[in-house]
Amino acid sequence: MQQQSPAKKKKKIKVPRVVNGVDTLVEIEVDDDGSVAWGPNDKHALLNHRLPRVDGHVKVSGAAEYTHDRRPPGMLYGRVLRSPHAHARVLKVDASAARGIPGVKAVVASTDDPARKELVVLFAGQPVAAVAAETPEIAEDALRAIRVDYEVLPHLVRAEDSVKEGAPKVFADPKEPNVEPRDKRGDASKVAEALKGADVVVEAEYRTPIIHHSSLETHGNVVDYRGGEEATVYASTQGTFTIPGDAAQELGLKESAVRAVVEHMGGGFGSKFGIGVEGMLACQLSKQAKAPVHLMLTRKDEFLLAGNRSGSWQKFKAGATKDGTLVALHAVQYRLGGLGDGSQAGQPYIYAAANAYREGYSIHTHEDASRAMRAPGHPQASFAVESLMDELAYKLGMDAVEFRKKNLKDAVYHRQLDRGAREIGWGRRNKTPGAGAGPLKRGMGCGIGTWGGGGNDECKVDVTVARDGSVSVAVGTQDLGTGTRTYTRAIVAEELGLQIKDVAERIGDSRLGSANSSGGSTTAASLAPSVKDAAVKARLAVAERLSPLLGGAKPEEITFSNGGVSGGGKTLSWRQACAALPAAGVTGHGVWQTSLAGRGVHGVCFAEVEVDVETGRVRPIKMVHVQDIGLPLNRLAVESQMNGGMIQSLGMALWEGRVMDAKLGLQLNPGFGDYKLPGALEMPELVPLIDDEDTREAVIGVGEPSIIPAVGAVANAVHNACGVRVRELPITPDKILMGLLSERRGA
Amino acid sequence: MADEHDVKSSRHQESPPDPSRRRFLKGVGIAGAGAAIADHLAQTAEAEATAARAEAAKLPTAGPLELALDVNGRRRAVSVEPRTTLLNALRNHLEPAVTGPKLVCDQGTCGACTVLLDGKPVYSCLVLAADAAGKKVTTVEGLGTPEQPNAVQAAFVEQDALMCGFCTPGFVTTVTAYLKKNPNPTLAEVREACKGNFCRCGTYPRVFEAALAAAKGTVSDK
Repeated sequence: MQQQSPAKKKKKIKVPRVVNGVDTLVEIEVDDDGSVAWGPNDKHALLNHRLPRVDGHVKVSGAAEYTHDRRPPGMLYGRVLRSPHAHARVLKVDASAARGIPGVKAVVASTDDPARKELVVLFAGQPVAAVAAETPEIAEDALRAIRVDYEVLPHLVRAEDSVKEGAPKVFADPKEPNVEPRDKRGDASKVAEALKGADVVVEAEYRTPIIHHSSLETHGNVVDYRGGEEATVYASTQGTFTIPGDAAQELGLKESAVRAVVEHMGGGFGSKFGIGVEGMLACQLSKQAKAPVHLMLTRKDEFLLAGNRSGSWQKFKAGATKDGTLVALHAVQYRLGGLGDGSQAGQPYIYAAANAYREGYSIHTHEDASRAMRAPGHPQASFAVESLMDELAYKLGMDAVEFRKKNLKDAVYHRQLDRGAREIGWGRRNKTPGAGAGPLKRGMGCGIGTWGGGGNDECKVDVTVARDGSVSVAVGTQDLGTGTRTYTRAIVAEELGLQIKDVAERIGDSRLGSANSSGGSTTAASLAPSVKDAAVKARLAVAERLSPLLGGAKPEEITFSNGGVSGGGKTLSWRQACAALPAAGVTGHGVWQTSLAGRGVHGVCFAEVEVDVETGRVRPIKMVHVQDIGLPLNRLAVESQMNGGMIQSLGMALWEGRVMDAKLGLQLNPGFGDYKLPGALEMPELVPLIDDEDTREAVIGVGEPSIIPAVGAVANAVHNACGVRVRELPITPDKILMGLLSERRGA
Repeated sequence: MADEHDVKSSRHQESPPDPSRRRFLKGVGIAGAGAAIADHLAQTAEAEATAARAEAAKLPTAGPLELALDVNGRRRAVSVEPRTTLLNALRNHLEPAVTGPKLVCDQGTCGACTVLLDGKPVYSCLVLAADAAGKKVTTVEGLGTPEQPNAVQAAFVEQDALMCGFCTPGFVTTVTAYLKKNPNPTLAEVREACKGNFCRCGTYPRVFEAALAAAKGTVSDK
């Protein structure tokens, strides 16, 4: 029913460019080749509406089968033995007692392979052995029965310690220093010169700790291999197609002989690509036992060895002139990614500075390697620069929103800042930070973000219309909880003039058409265009068959709407129409269409908080997030994702952070009892606003942009409320009380 | 939430003997605490402890227990160890398994494993399977089906109160039990009722809306 609009000669499109290390968009004019189009965003029958998710009923009733829930016959339970030391040489693993426990079916140890070089564990939590047994209880007993002899080596778990002169080395390889230079851009001497001419200068240091993804379904797989030539791997993954190759290598099979299944998965947030060490161990155990192995990490495993969002340490010197122009910015940025490199967007993040210089480094520690986490590097950069912008604005005595607008060229930010300010009631904010009677102080703050996203030519989709009228759409992609299943169905239903319930989707299977991994908010922009293309092709194939029955109407002129097919002055019901199809039905094979995907978004967040200056406790009151995303495929799901972004930002701003014991080299809070996730009692009023003034008829992902600007907004709201500028996350009561104390002493 | 199950009601006279962790702990723990108790109490405590210890010694601490669990109205025979939790028994020892309740933290912090024990919400990772014998266990599967959801389940779908859905069985069970207790809650009361359940995707606001909609009976049937 979405008819193509007549081809125009020229059209304007936006293309990505990198400005100051940040993706941005530039509009250019190109030939309009009459390719597939979504049509205007406000003219859809299903898309851009509020669609309850199609897997909702199986999820609310416990019927949805997650990886964790798979129970192939004869399945064993796998468990991982972790190193208790942050840095140690494994001398000996004695698993003989474990093997002797009745019910233990397989044991693998890091020392099994005599050809392998000695194992030096580099973080507390690194696997040194694994077992598979008939019950989880027996598997746990087996872990306790394994004796490992370690030679403990000196460790480093704090960035400050790693950078010290004469510090022990994190890696044995001399080519891998504790501090690795990453990027350098700009002219430091020009910045120094410009700072001299600035009316106000702020010199400040901002820190964010390591954050945990905390997906409720832990990492893991159920490897169903019983010997022979084929295997099936049920995986909790963001990349169905990243699994077969990894598993095949461990199992010694051909990649095509391994099938990956991801029916439902319980969250990933960037941490679940590839089979992981836990999957490799599951394969080894399954191969040894010739039986299926269920190896899902425990929650403590998950904290210690399943990746994290890198921390950051950013040092600024920045200056502005009286009129609010940012004239100079000098930034030194450290990424704290443990054994990994970490990630961080370059400064000045989004804002324009007449003179800017930055240099970036990774500081390594004996902690598990960082992984991608929802907008890798952006919330860290955004928190720091938004705090800095605020500090400059207050020093100048300028309104924080006006100061930002002054340094943002892009009109979309201006429009979104105005809308957010209206929605939160910016005029009500504390004119002087910390002002007001009584111990409960309210304040407001704001922040901005950006994300590239975009789609890739990676999805192959089949839409099949059967002679009995049933319609199916099949592609191997995975639904992380973002609503992939729902929009996949909706696109096909809309194209064929049907309802959502008339279409069945099959996803999460590497035997189906290929699809990209869900990273960088690229799933929707890669998948939706391919689904649309397949649906259009299926529609035209059906229309071609019907043409003789509809007075010879041209296939492209036959319309599909409200469960009917019309042309040549006649209308057939869907069932009647499909009866004319061949026995095998017709299938449209869809591929990615550039014209249907977009990339590059903005996004602003405003937050209001209440600070109790007697206890230092922060209570979030309200958050507003304004987001442009082109064509929202499903408004309900988009808003849910925006809520999720705000809530996760809130966690990062106020509560979350890995705590390490420097002496022991161990994490002190590897569990939900001590790692504080946002909970029901802390929820503010959340207002997710889709910016419909973005009329791009293109699909753009929304997962990552919605987590970026809120962290700075909350931190700035805390300052506006009580006058304390907390430069190290999370903003816990102790930091606020210490800030108030030092203010009082200073005054 | 996750109320401590009632000690008295867990003492059943039928065999097999009740191997409750609480009674076992009582046997080994009270003697130590006895010293701090005033003299006239100490004697009683000591005597009680000796008796409890003797009784605890008779209880099995290893080896299989043959239990009959009442799960969603069906009698399910299961053989588990004394240490096996109810959650573990449901998910890993019943055949076919009952996997609606999720194992997420296994230490009573997240609520994803919430089930109803005689109608009261409990964290099934903190209840021994043996302690659930003789009680009615209701999991999310017992509250409704995809085809016939209860009012709370229908409201969760309608309000989009789920994303990845891994925490959802726990929330649905918690909210269903709460609305039985308080059919007309305020938003503040709903938040309080949900404080024992974690969600990482960030569905809280819509969980609250779903709970209020279910209470008001404004949810459409499908």
